[in-house]
Amino acid sequence: MDGGNLIKVVRAFPYFFRMPINISKSLLLAPKIPSLAVVGLLAAQFFILQSIGGTEPKCTLNVERPHYSTSLFENQNIDAIKLNISSICNVSQKYTQLSASIQKIQNNREITAYSFVNQRRNSTAKSPNVASFRELFGPCRKGISAAYRGTAKGYVYLENGKKLAVKGDSGKFVAAGCLIGAQ
Amino acid sequence: MHNEGVSYFEECLTSGGLLFQEERRALYKYLLEINKDFYVNQAHLLLEKGITTRSIANGEVTYFFKGRKVNYSARELGSDEIQSELREIKLTRIRRYNIRKLEKFFAQCDVDVISNFPIPGRLPKADSGYGFNTYPFYTLAYYANGKNPLVGLIKKVRADDREILARLRTF
Repeated sequence: MDGGNLIKVVRAFPYFFRMPINISKSLLLAPKIPSLAVVGLLAAQFFILQSIGGTEPKCTLNVERPHYSTSLFENQNIDAIKLNISSICNVSQKYTQLSASIQKIQNNREITAYSFVNQRRNSTAKSPNVASFRELFGPCRKGISAAYRGTAKGYVYLENGKKLAVKGDSGKFVAAGCLIGAQ
Repeated sequence: MHNEGVSYFEECLTSGGLLFQEERRALYKYLLEINKDFYVNQAHLLLEKGITTRSIANGEVTYFFKGRKVNYSARELGSDEIQSELREIKLTRIRRYNIRKLEKFFAQCDVDVISNFPIPGRLPKADSGYGFNTYPFYTLAYYANGKNPLVGLIKKVRADDREILARLRTF
């Protein structure tokens, strides 16, 4: 062993001053576990967590643009602007609870045209990851056009007991030939 | 729209989920009014037996009373799919107060069932899960949408359902 392969250890206690310790550099630098094995173990941990339910639950709110409902007019003779919303998760949900509204542009300002009361909707056995709100509509007067946008926020209650906050809107304002708030 | 020979109340039983929020609220008040005796009897039965069932529109409701709590499950007539863990209320030790509370609860649940399981007719059935307004009509939270009860009180006073109620009362 020559002096180049040795490192000096800093002494913690002065009374050991007369006893120098030399440790081989190669001994310190050599890995105890091969790096390939470390990578393998990390990969195995990742795949095991994925398979035993390590997937993070995620839900998104799909707020469709408000539109004049032709089906309501044909079936009920009602003029109404309809808002369809779905909450879609990557895991099973019990139900979604949300507050929604239809916003409109009036005098170059955004105002709430119709506010829906807080609603709760269960998922179905056929689609356990989805809760669909298909009965949100506000009365309107046909013949007068206005630009609308749908907004909603609330919580999704998952089967595993967790509660996730969700929020969404339908994007830009789109015109419909029926005016809410002028009955 | 009003069909000849069909009352507005009968129309509501077939419209279900297509009712406006204001119509549902008026329907709740109307059911409370016309079913007063029925709800009182149903409440006594539930408190004594712990369970009671009733059919309305195209649905069947089963009420459960256990440990001072009352909840309900519902299913569409002819279907095996039961909707459970729906609304729940907590009762007190005062029987008379509980009966009054249950009357309102029953009327609210009847509106829920009519909205989800209307009498089959010409209207297409929406393919969605069981739903209802989170806050019952008999609470200030309904009027305030879960926010300040004082705001709820003001909105409750302002809510005018007389016109719809008059239509419901007309046979």
